[in-house]
Amino acid sequence: MRMKQTGSEILLESLHREGVDVFFGLPGGVVLPLYDALYSSGVRHLLVRHEQAAAFAADGYARATGKVGVCLGTSGPGATNLITALTSAMMDSIPVVALTGQVPLHLIGKDAFQECDTIGISMPSTKRSFLVRSAADIPEIMHQAFKTAVSGRPGPVLVDLPKNVLMESGETTYLNERGMEKKECIREWTDADLERAADLVLDSRRAVFYAGGGVIASQAWDELRELAELTKIPVTTTLMGLGGFPSDHRLSLGMLGMHGSYATNQSICNCDLLIAVGARFDDRVTGRLKDFSTLSKKIHIDVDPSEINKNVRIDVALVGDARQTLRALISAIQRQTDQAPAPAARQQWLQRIESWRGEHPLTYDKYGHAMKPQYVIETLCRHAAEDAIVSVDVGQHQMWTAQFWKFRQPRTWLSSSGLGSMGYGFPAAMGAQLAFPDRQVIAFVGDGGFQMTLNDLATVAQYRVPVKIAIINNRALGMVRQWQEIFFEKRYCDIDLSYAPNFAKLADSYGIRGVRVDHRADVEDAVRDLLSDREPGLIDFWVDPAENVYPIVPPGASLAEMVVEPPRVLLEEEALDDLWAV
Amino acid sequence: MQWLIALETNSDPITACRLINIFRRKGVGILTLAMAARPQGFSLITVAETPETEVEHIYNFLRRVEGVQHVTYYRHEPQGDASFVFIDSEPQSHTLARVLQDFPGAKMVFGSDGKYLLEVPEGRQARVRDLPGAPAEVLPFARVKTSNSRPEVITAQAS
Repeated sequence: MRMKQTGSEILLESLHREGVDVFFGLPGGVVLPLYDALYSSGVRHLLVRHEQAAAFAADGYARATGKVGVCLGTSGPGATNLITALTSAMMDSIPVVALTGQVPLHLIGKDAFQECDTIGISMPSTKRSFLVRSAADIPEIMHQAFKTAVSGRPGPVLVDLPKNVLMESGETTYLNERGMEKKECIREWTDADLERAADLVLDSRRAVFYAGGGVIASQAWDELRELAELTKIPVTTTLMGLGGFPSDHRLSLGMLGMHGSYATNQSICNCDLLIAVGARFDDRVTGRLKDFSTLSKKIHIDVDPSEINKNVRIDVALVGDARQTLRALISAIQRQTDQAPAPAARQQWLQRIESWRGEHPLTYDKYGHAMKPQYVIETLCRHAAEDAIVSVDVGQHQMWTAQFWKFRQPRTWLSSSGLGSMGYGFPAAMGAQLAFPDRQVIAFVGDGGFQMTLNDLATVAQYRVPVKIAIINNRALGMVRQWQEIFFEKRYCDIDLSYAPNFAKLADSYGIRGVRVDHRADVEDAVRDLLSDREPGLIDFWVDPAENVYPIVPPGASLAEMVVEPPRVLLEEEALDDLWAV
Repeated sequence: MQWLIALETNSDPITACRLINIFRRKGVGILTLAMAARPQGFSLITVAETPETEVEHIYNFLRRVEGVQHVTYYRHEPQGDASFVFIDSEPQSHTLARVLQDFPGAKMVFGSDGKYLLEVPEGRQARVRDLPGAPAEVLPFARVKTSNSRPEVITAQAS
């Protein structure tokens, strides 16, 4: 049915028809017509305090729900402020649609006030960018934008909306289907490829699944678990894949790579078959490439053909949607054997992994007087609901959370993993909380990252978004300090963040309950208290500033060369640091 | 090693801009580049210097870029058989006429501003070694891979 509406009304109607229940943004000059239409529309909008937070919130919403997250910024600085978050979404394959205002069409290229080349700037940070030239085109473009964001390898899409397009009236026709629901799943593998993969799986004795974010994106977690249990093959996940396989499952190896456990990395070094599912063999996973898992044959399941053989030579590539491909692989294996293959050799392999785990378990000093960050994270995990969503910034606290949080469900882990953008954790948590108002959402942030984004305390206060903020405060840019300590002979340069606000008082000033905890003995009660209500809350945990993330694979080293614990001399110095800290 | 990469895109010039940017980011050494407008979009052709180990990744990367309709890549074949000839000449040059004389029935795959890609008729490949013109002006290529036969696309309902 054709209807006469303004471009702004058409846009909001298109969002509504795509099933968008909330979007995040900040108004400005050229998008005023849109906000005028928003005034009387039924679409919910959350006013953030910086556009980067809008895009990170949209990202958090998308990761938690699997649906497309939507954000909006005005022209010029509004658009450029979105770019970091869109780049993060691009690297992590997160479906986000970013709407940007633009100066009227006749002013584009004339260096008008708040004009910038949004399309040009966003090119490498998005799957696709659209410049809308007519209000009548909006429904089709929005349909394409949502479809593109979720199809194949998901990612962000930008729609640039000139002011005159938002203001002009026109007749338009809406599509009856949602772009989000018309995603295209590519399958390039043949039955012969599948049979070869099944043969490799059945012939292997020391196999490992290496699962990445693609398992989450394609909702392949049930198939992964079924195949792992069918074949008795253990599963390690990347930072992006956390939650794709339950941490407490007997076949779970936890995270691999630079800060993966000793047992996990040993299993990668010694396996005879590595089955990568929706993962991209990135440098933080592989360590020195030429020594990565040299004993194994490799199967790579990925929706993106350009990931095959990009970093590591693959024996069998299955290019396709992870869920459909794993389902087909399960059938192929079941066709070859009526019973789950569980040869003694495979049991021996699991026992060997268990012995590595015993040699160097993932642990920390649990008995000292200092408040260790890992203890804070474990305590929060113990008290949090099973379906709690955890969001993190980037740095030491991110790795400790990845190591010590028990991930029981998919889509409960929000992390800017590829780009590694500080300032992600808090706004992403806000986005997830908007999607699931009744679930616990906990943002672990460092004192560095939080200072990049704490202006949005106003947003959670204004809308009473019940996000729980746990600041892992070590008064420093902790990961940078750790690297300067270990790899730059302790030449500490510009990592000191001791000049910072009192975060608890700052939260109070926004009308959010804030508490500082600086003794280990107070952690338990403070956590219980934090999680006891449905209000936003903040705890500033003053943790041991000398704590480092271990194990670590030094840059340029192979996984086999990982350092599992601090050298003795460092430990002694840490003890002195502890005294100094007290 | 030299490769010829031919691309067809939709009519949105942003797609072509993306491709140039991808060449830069992926370290593809562009030796020649030509572009032509078609009724449904743009054709873009480049002779590029890139290691053999990288070319498959670049091909796969390009074919999944939004707005790219087809990608084909060709390997430079200075010694062996080749069924494609790339002419890299000045617009006023007679090289095209000379090549067409030697290969009557050759099919033009791309042509713009002195840059031409011709498909040599079957059975004539052997003579590619004796191409007319200066060596740098007429280059023999063999087709390696094309995305023209599209992968199976399944439209699925999001669950």
